[in-house]
Parts: sequence; C-alpha cells; structure tokens
Amino acid sequence: MLGGSQGEIVANAMDCLIQFGEAFGAECLVDIQYCHYPAEMAIYEGSVEDLLVFAKSSPPVLVPTTTSTVCCDLQHPTVTGIPAELAKKQALVSSAYQKLGILETYTCTPQLNGFIPPFGSCISSVESSAIIYFNSVLGARTNRGGLFTRYSAITGKYPLMGYLLPRNRAGTHLVHLEEDSGFLESYLKWNIFGYLIGEKVGSEVPVIKGIHSARQEHLIGFGAGMATSGSVTLYHIEGVTPEAHSGMDSFMGKKPKESIVFDRSDFERIIQSFTTIKKEDDIDFVTLGCPHYNLEQLRYTASLLEGKKISSNRRVWICTSRMVRAMAEISGFVKTIEASGAKVIADTCPVESHMRKSTCRDYGLTVPNIRAMASDSIKMTRYVRDLIGCETALVSTERAIEIAIGDRLS
Amino acid sequence: MEIVRGRKIVRGKASGRLILYPMSFSFLGDVDMNTSQIISKEFINQNLFLKESIFLFTETKGSSGGCVVLMTLVRKKIAPAGIITIKAPDYNLTEGAILAGIPFISDVQVEFLTVAKMGDWIEMDTETGRVILKR
Repeated sequence: MLGGSQGEIVANAMDCLIQFGEAFGAECLVDIQYCHYPAEMAIYEGSVEDLLVFAKSSPPVLVPTTTSTVCCDLQHPTVTGIPAELAKKQALVSSAYQKLGILETYTCTPQLNGFIPPFGSCISSVESSAIIYFNSVLGARTNRGGLFTRYSAITGKYPLMGYLLPRNRAGTHLVHLEEDSGFLESYLKWNIFGYLIGEKVGSEVPVIKGIHSARQEHLIGFGAGMATSGSVTLYHIEGVTPEAHSGMDSFMGKKPKESIVFDRSDFERIIQSFTTIKKEDDIDFVTLGCPHYNLEQLRYTASLLEGKKISSNRRVWICTSRMVRAMAEISGFVKTIEASGAKVIADTCPVESHMRKSTCRDYGLTVPNIRAMASDSIKMTRYVRDLIGCETALVSTERAIEIAIGDRLS
Repeated sequence: MEIVRGRKIVRGKASGRLILYPMSFSFLGDVDMNTSQIISKEFINQNLFLKESIFLFTETKGSSGGCVVLMTLVRKKIAPAGIITIKAPDYNLTEGAILAGIPFISDVQVEFLTVAKMGDWIEMDTETGRVILKR
C-alpha cells in the first residue's frame, strides 16, 4: 500500500500512519476491525470541503466505519433552529460518506447502534466517551483517535502502540468510593464520579474497587465524565469490567501510584461548581442525552413526561442517535416525549450545534444563544459553559424534567 | 539563556512568545476557535491568544474533538507556532499536529514551568529535542 499499488491516497494514508507510529516507537502497523470516524462538521471552517475533496478520489473504507455527531439533525434540519445555509452545507457530507462506504450513524454512542467490537480486537475510534467505553467496558483496544481515523478506515491499519499493547493496560491508581453501595444510584452521580476521577488521574488508568454492578447508561456517563476532566482512555472496575474480573490483577503486578478516596462531599463540591445560575427562572434550556441516550433512557424520560407540558419559556432537547430514535418511535416513546413539547433530537447536541458562540457570531444569531441550561450531564455542562457561554445547573434527570415543566429549583 | 530537552513528537522548528498554561488543556472548550483566545475560566481575563505562540501546557484533556479544533485554528491561520507539553503526548493532539505541521515536543522537565515566564521568547527544534528560552 505504501508503494502506491492502491493509489496515491492510500499511499499517503500509510505514510501518515507510519510517521505517527514512529513518533511513539510503534514496531509495526496492525489490522483493525472497526473505525468510529469524526464526522466533518459544518461549524468548523474548511472541514466539509476537505471531506468532499477526499471522497472524490479516495477508495472506500476497508473496515466497518461509523460516524460521530454533526451540527444538526440531518433528517429534520429545521428542528434545532440551525441557519438554513449551514444545514445545507452540513447535508453535503451524506453522499460523501455513502461513496466512501461510511455508515451514517452520526452519534457519540455507536455502541448503542450495535457496534460492539470483540474483546481484544484493535480498533480506531474518536469520541472520548466512546473510546473509554470500548476500552474499558468491552475490552477492545483503541487510543484517543482523531483525524487519522480516516487513514485507518481506508487502510484497515493502525500503529501498534499505546492501549493496543496489553502492557499499557495495567491500572495505575486505586480508587475507592467511601459510601454505601446504594449511593451511586443515579446517572448524575455516575457522571460526577467519573469527573472526580478524571480530575485526579489525568491521563492514567484508574482501578475502581467496591462497586459490584453497573448499568450500561451509567457506565457511558461515568466514562464521559472521566474523559472530560481528564483524558482517561481506560479504567477498570474490579469484578465488573472484563479486564478486572475476580482473580485478575488489574495492576499487572505493579504497585498503584496512589490510592484515592472520594465521599459525598466531593460530589457536592462538583454540583456546586457546575451550578452557576443566579436564579431558577434564568433556565431557558434543558438538555438530556449527553452522551446520546439509549432506548431505556428514552423510555424513562417518556415516563417522566407522560401527560405533562413543557414550560412555554423553555426549550428541551433529548438527544440520541437516529437509530435509537427509530427504536423509540416504534416503542411509542418519541410520541409521548414530543406530545409534551420536548424534542427528541438525533445526530447532534447543543454543544455540537450552531449555538456555539463562534457560529452564532458568524450567522448573526443572539450570543449567548442560551441563557442558562439545566442538564444531567457533566460533559454537557462543562462544554456549554465556555462554548455557548451560558450559565449551567447540573441536576438529576428527574430534576431536569421538573425544571422543564416549570417547577422551581429548591 | 536556558535550554531544556524533551521528546520529538512532530518534526520542525518554531519560535515565538511563550504562553505558559500550567495545567491540563482541552482544545475543545478552552480556546475560541475564531480568535484563538484562551477562554477557559482560569485564563479568560488574561487576553492570551494562541496565534503564533509557543504553547506550553502540562497535558491534553477533554474531548477528542480537540484535534479538529486545532486544524480549524490552522485553516484560519491563528494556530500556535509550536506545542510543548510536560507530560507524554496525547495521540489525538499528535494527529492534529502532524496534519497541521505544528512542531511538537513532549516530556519536558516539569521544572520548566517555574523557570519559564509568560511572554518569554522560545525557540524549539524537534530534531534535537531542544527548547531554548531567550530573555
């Protein structure tokens, strides 16, 4: 491939991957089984144009490849209020991906669309919350991928380095939560727990003890939290995640660098620091679904909203992937949610949308586009603070719905 | 003149005024991609712009969208001239820096954070792994 037998584009992709591998001392390139690709977003200058040029001359991808989020709901572009010109530009990616054989999932949670790489398989992925899930919960092997995912997709290769090597998957820090087993009962608490750990360990590999089970959506929020305050790519929960089952040594014979203990006071500190609103009436936007919600979360949200009406001065987005949305339509959850006035949004989320300050300025929209947002996601509240420029309230899922329908924050 | 050494990640030479950010940095959220101004809460009042700077921070954090933000800064011609990190490099940022052709040195001694000062003139040469501080 490097010699040009499969064309200049593939040869260049191989050259980039080799350079990349050399920078990290990789011994060789290995075959990968799957790619999660950073969809080109119209809010980034030159990004869509770059894809269109690439798609014209590139061969199709060699491995199953899914796409991450874009800046609008491509099937329902008017639903988010995106300027028509920007939506039109974003829609250009669709035919380019079809030509390249890239699957149009447009989600940060491709694992909820059935992309579950086998344990031990090497993959190349973007989206920090998906990466940490693939590594930790599924035991697949990936680094924090970026723009080179394109090169991996068309060559089926990635340098053998980082978390692809078993020796780099050993735990480094021991984490213990000094609360009873029922404390982590909510999505919000798992989000915060992840954030606390990421804040402490940065880019290292935490091993969490004392937790005996966890739900899929909780682990998605947990990983997203860790990959927001830090750049954690892999964690182990003893007795829960596949590289930390009972009898296995997650530290691979090494001594933990540090033991860290958290308790409820740490959780309260995070809630306070991410709740910046002056008064409850300021909240004009409620977001659920960061990372994109799974079907059970949509069912639960529908149950909370059944028979209720969203307050007329609030916008409510419940974000998910188009595939999960389709399942929720079949199940009747979308109908219940939308009857309340809330919107089920696919392919995007507020922080990836036209509501970023920089995009609003470009299109003459109000800045900030949101005054204050309530969300059950620490990742969302962290990024909207700076990217949209709004105040935030970090609240439970249930509280977010109460706010949406007009209840006051106590 | 002070010289410290680090690990070559992306080849090239660069020079510029130092922006010293003594903590982890997320290219998504901590910088305005239209102006290159640092907008993270801790630094927002310091009127610091990454454009043409040598940007020193401890390590990357946050979203993997960071490399796309870096490429956007490059397309707008407001990217840093060079990147230096104290800790090991992040794969995501490295991909962005290779594509952008931004020289990148990692694993510089942590003491450099106390020796160097905001606005110092820095020259970096990734072939030798040298970071030269001139006052």
